[in-house]
Amino acid sequence: MANVIMASSKTQIPVSSSLPTPIPKPSPIPQLSLPKPKVLSIPSSSVALKSVSVIGAAAPLLLAPLPALAVEIEKAALFDFNLTLPIVMGEFLLLMFALDKVYFSPLGKFMDERDAAIKEKLSSVKDTSQEVKQLEEQAAAIMKAARAEISAALNKMKKETQAEVEEKLREGRKKVEAELQEALANLERQKEETVKALDSQIAALSQDIVKKVLPVE
Amino acid sequence: MNVLSCSTNTLKGLYDISGVEVGQHFYWQIGGFQVHGQVLITSWVVIAILLGSASIAVRNPQTIPNAGQNFFEYVLEFIRDVSKTQIGEEYGPWVPFIGTMFLFIFVSNWSGALLPWKIIQLPHGELAAPTNDINTTVALALLTSVAYFYAGLSKKGLSYFSKYIQPTPILLPINILEDFTKPLSLSFRLFGNILADELVVVVLVSLVPLVVPIPVMFLGLFTSGIQALIFATLAAAYIGESMEGHH
Repeated sequence: MANVIMASSKTQIPVSSSLPTPIPKPSPIPQLSLPKPKVLSIPSSSVALKSVSVIGAAAPLLLAPLPALAVEIEKAALFDFNLTLPIVMGEFLLLMFALDKVYFSPLGKFMDERDAAIKEKLSSVKDTSQEVKQLEEQAAAIMKAARAEISAALNKMKKETQAEVEEKLREGRKKVEAELQEALANLERQKEETVKALDSQIAALSQDIVKKVLPVE
Repeated sequence: MNVLSCSTNTLKGLYDISGVEVGQHFYWQIGGFQVHGQVLITSWVVIAILLGSASIAVRNPQTIPNAGQNFFEYVLEFIRDVSKTQIGEEYGPWVPFIGTMFLFIFVSNWSGALLPWKIIQLPHGELAAPTNDINTTVALALLTSVAYFYAGLSKKGLSYFSKYIQPTPILLPINILEDFTKPLSLSFRLFGNILADELVVVVLVSLVPLVVPIPVMFLGLFTSGIQALIFATLAAAYIGESMEGHH
């Protein structure tokens, strides 16, 4: 079994060692020396060239390595540089410009603008604190004015009622006074009348008294 | 001998079922040059997915975003965050580069894990993640190198090169070496991770087709995302490093 393993590793070594050579060299093993251009020009060559390579290196350790299988092994061209490289470069650059046009620039600009708008809105919200203060002042002024108006109205009303009351009071007093005056005047007149009447009676009475005191001669 | 040929048939059958193909390419011929057709096909699909989803989601942006737009805004903020932390305040112009790097690698990696590429049969080779091919990763790494050189030169002019002798001139060779190791490590890290991830999944599926590969698949998804993030972060870090003032 050890022999088998040794043998398998020996057959595999040239395959793996020939991997990194990009330039097709005539390989030391005749079965493997398929010159690459030929393979390329005849892609559907008679044998279906299924590669074995890495798993091919692992699996034959379990089974017996056979020369028949080696024919099937094609040289693996892992490090095969060719025109693909510059083409991929060009594709990448084109993709970069296209993605920049389609994706990075427009969406980035849009996001930046949105950020700026949000920030502006935020700062404007902060500014409204001043507006709120102004509004509060306005409200306070209105309240003050309303209060002043109310107190003024109250004062006015008070004054009016007072004046009315006083007027009525004065009127009443005047009436009373007038009545009193009238009553006094009446009284005076009656007194005078009485005095007058008494005066005339006094004259008659005094004559009577004189007649009575002084005997008639 | 009979047993041996029988086992060979079994083995061949196993390979056919598991379909492990490493380093096999579907070659196209373009003007005398060869290209890896499977890489181009999958990269076109990735590009189509990216552009299509982005343009649909961002077509008509709303102030209060809907689900798709929200997701893309989240991704953009993530990319901006990565570039800002690595590059600094002047990250703006580099967002497209870093973002495309991240998104392209991320969608490529996940497409290799999630999209059933294997259903589509190619004459040769097979469809897999574009980052599964060394050409793609080296292309991206070289672009990163070009990007950080461009960033440094446009920011500081020729005095950018004074960073090579910055702490002391003795470090000049190491500083020059860094310019080669940076793209090398970037490309090989990504390539190796994605290739190894897909191989592990394929090998496990071929050995135990049920249940067992599932945790490894999830691990693969995780690694793919991490690799994309690492690539983009390192690219941004290199750009930021070449732009920062030396003190």
